[in-house]
Amino acid sequence: MHTETISPLPAKGRQLLVCRGTGCESQKANLIFGALKDEIFKAGLADDYKVKFTGCHGLCQMGPTVIVQPPGTFYCNVAPEDVAEIVKVDLVEGGKVDRLLFIDPQSKERVLTYHEMAYFNPQRRIVLRNCGFINPEDIDDYIEVGGYEGIRRALSLTPLEVIEEVKSSGLRGRGGGGFPTGTKWEFCNKSPGDQKYLICNADEGDPGAFMDRAVLEGDPHSVLEGMMIAGYAIGATKAYIYCRAEYPLAHERSLIAIDQATQRGYLGKGIFGSDFDFEIKVKLGAGAFVCGEETALMASIEGKRGMPMPRPPFPAVKGLFGKPTNINNVETFANIPVILTKGGDWFARVGTEKSKGTKVFALAGKINYSGLVEIPMGTSLRQIVDEIGGGIPNKRKFKAAQTGGPSGGCIPAEHFDIPMDYENLTQVGSIMGSGGLIVTDETTCMVDMAKFFLSFTQKESCGKCVQCRLGTKNMLETLTAISEGKATMEDLDLLLELAQDVKAGSLCGLGQTAPNPVLSTIRYFRDEYEAHILRKECPARVCRSLIKFQVNEAACTMCGSCFKACPVGAITWQKKQPAHIDKEKCIKCRSCILACKFHAID
Amino acid sequence: MPRLIIDEREIEVPPGTKVIDAAERLGILIPRFCYHEGLGAVGACRMCAVQFVEGPVKGLQMSCMVDAQDGMVVSTSHEEAVEFRRFIIECLMLNHPHDCPVCDEGGQCLLQDETVSGGHGLRRYQGKKRTYRDQYLGELIAHEMNRCIHCYRCSRFYQEFSGYRDLGPLQIANRVFYGRFKDGPLESPFSGNLVDICPTGVYTDKPSRYKARRWDLQRTPSVCIHCSLGCNTVANARYREVVRVEARFSGEVNGHFICDRGRFGFPYTNLPGRPRTARTAGGECSQGEAVAAAAEKLREISSTFGPQAVACFGSSRNSLETQCMLKRICRLQGWQVPGFFVDPALERRVRAAVSLLDASAGVSMREVERADCVVAAGVDPVNEAPMLALAMRQAFRRGAEILVADPRPIFLPFPFIHVPVSMERMDSFLEGLARLAGESSDGTGVREADLLSQIVQNGGLASSDLPLPVSFCRALFGSQNPVVLCGTECVRESTLPAAAALARDLRKGRDRAGLLYVLPGANAFGAGLLNSQGHPGFSRLLESVESGSVRALIVTESDPLNDFCHRDRLLGTLGKLDLLVVMDFLDSETARMAHVFLPTTTHFESGSCFVNHEGRLQYAEAVHHGGIPIEQAGGGSHPPRVYRGDIPGEGPKAAWVILAELGRTLGIPDRDLLGLGPWSLIGEEIPSLKRLEGTVFPPEGIRILSDGDPVQWVQGPEARDGEDDRGAVPPGDFFEILLTHWTFGTEELSSRSGPLQKVEKEPYGMMHSDDARVLGFSEGDRIVLSLEGGQIRFRLSVADRMGRGVLVLPRHRKLAWRNIPEMPCFVPRDRIRREDS
Ligand SMILES: Cc1cc2nc3c(=O)[nH]c(=O)nc-3n(C[C@H](O)[C@H](O)[C@H](O)COP(=O)(O)O)c2cc1C
Ligand code: SF4
Ligand code: SF4
Ligand code: FES
Repeated sequence: MHTETISPLPAKGRQLLVCRGTGCESQKANLIFGALKDEIFKAGLADDYKVKFTGCHGLCQMGPTVIVQPPGTFYCNVAPEDVAEIVKVDLVEGGKVDRLLFIDPQSKERVLTYHEMAYFNPQRRIVLRNCGFINPEDIDDYIEVGGYEGIRRALSLTPLEVIEEVKSSGLRGRGGGGFPTGTKWEFCNKSPGDQKYLICNADEGDPGAFMDRAVLEGDPHSVLEGMMIAGYAIGATKAYIYCRAEYPLAHERSLIAIDQATQRGYLGKGIFGSDFDFEIKVKLGAGAFVCGEETALMASIEGKRGMPMPRPPFPAVKGLFGKPTNINNVETFANIPVILTKGGDWFARVGTEKSKGTKVFALAGKINYSGLVEIPMGTSLRQIVDEIGGGIPNKRKFKAAQTGGPSGGCIPAEHFDIPMDYENLTQVGSIMGSGGLIVTDETTCMVDMAKFFLSFTQKESCGKCVQCRLGTKNMLETLTAISEGKATMEDLDLLLELAQDVKAGSLCGLGQTAPNPVLSTIRYFRDEYEAHILRKECPARVCRSLIKFQVNEAACTMCGSCFKACPVGAITWQKKQPAHIDKEKCIKCRSCILACKFHAID
Repeated sequence: MPRLIIDEREIEVPPGTKVIDAAERLGILIPRFCYHEGLGAVGACRMCAVQFVEGPVKGLQMSCMVDAQDGMVVSTSHEEAVEFRRFIIECLMLNHPHDCPVCDEGGQCLLQDETVSGGHGLRRYQGKKRTYRDQYLGELIAHEMNRCIHCYRCSRFYQEFSGYRDLGPLQIANRVFYGRFKDGPLESPFSGNLVDICPTGVYTDKPSRYKARRWDLQRTPSVCIHCSLGCNTVANARYREVVRVEARFSGEVNGHFICDRGRFGFPYTNLPGRPRTARTAGGECSQGEAVAAAAEKLREISSTFGPQAVACFGSSRNSLETQCMLKRICRLQGWQVPGFFVDPALERRVRAAVSLLDASAGVSMREVERADCVVAAGVDPVNEAPMLALAMRQAFRRGAEILVADPRPIFLPFPFIHVPVSMERMDSFLEGLARLAGESSDGTGVREADLLSQIVQNGGLASSDLPLPVSFCRALFGSQNPVVLCGTECVRESTLPAAAALARDLRKGRDRAGLLYVLPGANAFGAGLLNSQGHPGFSRLLESVESGSVRALIVTESDPLNDFCHRDRLLGTLGKLDLLVVMDFLDSETARMAHVFLPTTTHFESGSCFVNHEGRLQYAEAVHHGGIPIEQAGGGSHPPRVYRGDIPGEGPKAAWVILAELGRTLGIPDRDLLGLGPWSLIGEEIPSLKRLEGTVFPPEGIRILSDGDPVQWVQGPEARDGEDDRGAVPPGDFFEILLTHWTFGTEELSSRSGPLQKVEKEPYGMMHSDDARVLGFSEGDRIVLSLEGGQIRFRLSVADRMGRGVLVLPRHRKLAWRNIPEMPCFVPRDRIRREDS
């Protein structure tokens, strides 16, 4: 893995890094942390090792983790009971606790350090540069790796020079729209107003996405620093982080970071001894997806119902409390300090022609290793899935990847080699979005997936526009009818017509993009829709009403996997006999279908 | 000015005009639900989509969201737009319960209209309809959420426009629900506007539910007479009964809305107990016989004791015609000059207010909305003139700073600065502000601290009582268009010129600085205009009755027993009269004492003029002919089974017509009375209005304020002869009693409304918590106030944000406030005690 820390990681001394991101913390990482300290003390190693807790390093699936650094030994799925063994075997005796090491999915061999892990190796970490390596609750840790150098440099430039630097980096907003960040700042800088505001959008409502959470939990100071630089560039003295209330840890760590920065004089009046005042407040959002939309977000900060308003006027002209406002995403801000210290040109060398830098994806779905990955723009989808994600379990075939969450679309196998950047994704009918990446295989039903996303947007519509409120419901009902085999081909046409109406008639991005998952699955997997409608069949065996729960004896290899999987004993099977399902007892849970490797259950 | 083409017709509109409004100017009504002129655009319903064919904006856009710009070519009938709108209306009708036959909105329903205009007819949708549970929202508004189309008009009106928070959108997506967190009566006294503003039948007028189909109603432009603002209304009648009142748009007066007192206050006109037959001592008789009996007795008294033994008394609810006729007859007969207010001090204050207003100072409510700084002195808008509070809120929404100086606890639906100055020190407080304003206009710079300390001293305030005064003073200096509001009910007479002086001082160096007096009654301005110089004042009049020099009293649409403080004295005095003639449409206590009673019509039955607080003469047209409502006449059976040639109960006539008949019977030629016609009658009695003769009555009324010197316009009250009503606080430990109005339950006409009686609060008195502490009282205590006139019992409510040394009591019909001997009234502390002690 290539980590773009601003200063190299401190070489002197050895550290024990315990991940205490939300995922690991929920599996007793706090106890592991405490136990490690105790054991090291008992072993008399307290002076040789620094035990440090960190934010998320991305591979949540293998958490809780402990890293011995150097050399970077990566222990996975650690339990508090394992701590004594790690200290004894690794630290005292100089060996490795084999059973806790990571197993390479391809070679099936144990991997000693994270440097050799296929998951981390191809990644290039700019945004997540410090996540997993520094203590997010200690400002000195951040400073030690070069933190707050960017704002110092910014303050030595004029605001317009700062904006030039950001423009030259080619950075585009990571909140979903991909609007050039420098240009956005310039609008706000030029917009007249006595008071200007800056907002960091940490609402992160896409189902399955958690990159912003990881950044705020793992490296909150980099976001604060990015905000300071932006505030200076546009002339805003007051800023908000709009953080969803479901992120208590991110909230708490942001508050701690703000507190520490204020004590150092990095926030408040005349920061870093300049004449620039800057303060940051954290505002909790109640978890409505639509509140991530910028105008709804601002209404929510103002204490109003979070409902979008038409633009223009754009926030840069009339934003929070009617004043010029600039709003960026967490990930966007986290890039900024690096751009200011290493230069826009340096940043622009990463990525593709029009998409610069890296992108963090939340990799999920039918994949061996799910988690956060940060790759340079232009990395191929195949590399992400096969190499980083360790491929698809059970040797199943890649079917499609869904990007952009409920606003996005799918990329089918024919485009498996697509280099991931803004332009290519748009071209195949999907979007970069905020970074959700869901991998599907042949056991995923595309109608069902479209239904999942649409039911999300349908429920999360703020209810303002007719199309978004009622059209999506209508679409969902039609999709449901299709998935139940109750629809006709005319309904498919109706679905397409409705999709166009909803896109055209909705005010904000939520409604305008809600039909995308439907449209793109129809575009690439129309045959699946037709199978549901014409043959009353769900090829992936997902849509329950169309599954017969009946063993296809011709396909059955008589292996008995289904028999073992059935939780209610509805399957009878004997060696060398095809299995049989008792419909009276069957509860349609689909365990047998998931267990059968031969697709033999209809 | 942008020029654009809509449907092949060109139009030029002021910058900032939305395309939807530009089209309306051409007579093209683009379909809409959420857009409302009074509430602005939100772009929620998507119904107003039109095609922008050429120009700076292209494609399908919402016409309510786009400003008209040069070079635009817009088509409302473009295929794409028509198809889009058809889709919208089809969507909106998916969940509609199709209960139009039993929906009161039917016939005036925008949803019905737009369904037709959108071309939606056949239902294609097979799915389930979304349904809601309706809420109980109190006695005035019925709730039927299944009809909702989610245009957000209700919540925008309720929360944004009027500033109340208890009704609004809850939930998201397809579950969005407009209502309250819990069932319960709506808190806003403007809730009735939900009925007018909802484009479907979600909110309907509860008292009039199922009474009539809209197209069967007789509808007419009317004017509200429940306070001095004169909001414009539409009166709706059916079967000889006023069924409901709606708001009528007036660009100058009330905008699109009215308050609930005005909307639900009308039932006095329908009451079964309303007197409809004339009476003399001999019992019921015809109108003519009663007039003859009154005339005969009057002639007799005149000839025995002289014409000055006859006195007349009107009120501020009289129409202008009635007031003029009253004055005219008195003059022609040589009777005493008529009075209109039982409280002589109030009469003087009204005359002072009318004399101080002129065209350059007086402002309408619309102008208050545009003010950038408002000073209100001795006025409690929500309670005295509710719509004024909404006008002030609009000023607040535009960024105005608002200060209210009043010792009473004041609530307004927006943040403001409340300075609890006592009534006694109000003038000095205003003078202090005026000096501040003067300093600033001199450009000499302001020594804020000095001047502030002056205000503090003048206002008799500890400086801690002044929240944010410096910021307010700054706002006042910086303002371009300040307005001074002043009450008349509770203030001292000298406060009125002090308010005018403040407005005048503010006008220096500014284009404009407005002045608005809230007056006691719908036609108090008319009473003030008649300038009843020579009227001795009601108390003197009573003395004359008691001494026997006045022997006959003609009371016209007035109920002194309702208004006068010292009730027992008045009862005794009225009993001494040789002749008491009462004309009224109310079954009032005074009417019941009359020797001769003559029933009159209400303004719903006879068209009448009223002059509102800003001197706007407005005409309320009659909505129906009068007579006993069919429901009452038919004993509940409909249609009535007995057919007759006349209309039962059609006896009452307009008071001014009855007065004229009395005059004619007394020998005044008809050409001097009814023969004059209303305009000449008004012109003869109010010379300054002669210029209006022959005017065609414009819909927005006529602003009759002159441009000239206010003093020549109408004379203010003459200098006092000895008696001082300035109301200096007597030395010692006294409480000043302030008698006040409440939105519901105190005003003479609306407090007879059944629906409003269900809404009004039980009366309570208020004092400052410090005062209560000293007296050993606490919230909720039962208090007895012992006065010469008798005792007053009430529950106590304490407040911190009010003046000390005052006891605020409502003129509530359930409170014995008429035991107060006289206003102003100061009571020693030992007269106030807890009931159990
Ligand atoms: C329905 C909806 C939800 C959104 N949610 C988010 C979000 O959770 N986080 C975010 O950063 N941007 C979100 N956005 C995008 C924001 O409106 C805005 O474009 C973004 O914060 C700008 O930041 P950027 O320029 O750094 O991308 C959302 C937009 C829409 C329409
Ligand atoms: S498109 Fe949907 S979420 Fe966006 S404003 Fe309209 S109703 Fe609300
Ligand atoms: S209740 Fe009426 S006003 Fe409110 S949103 Fe529904 S249709 Fe509109
Ligand atoms: S009237 Fe324009 S969107 Fe509703």
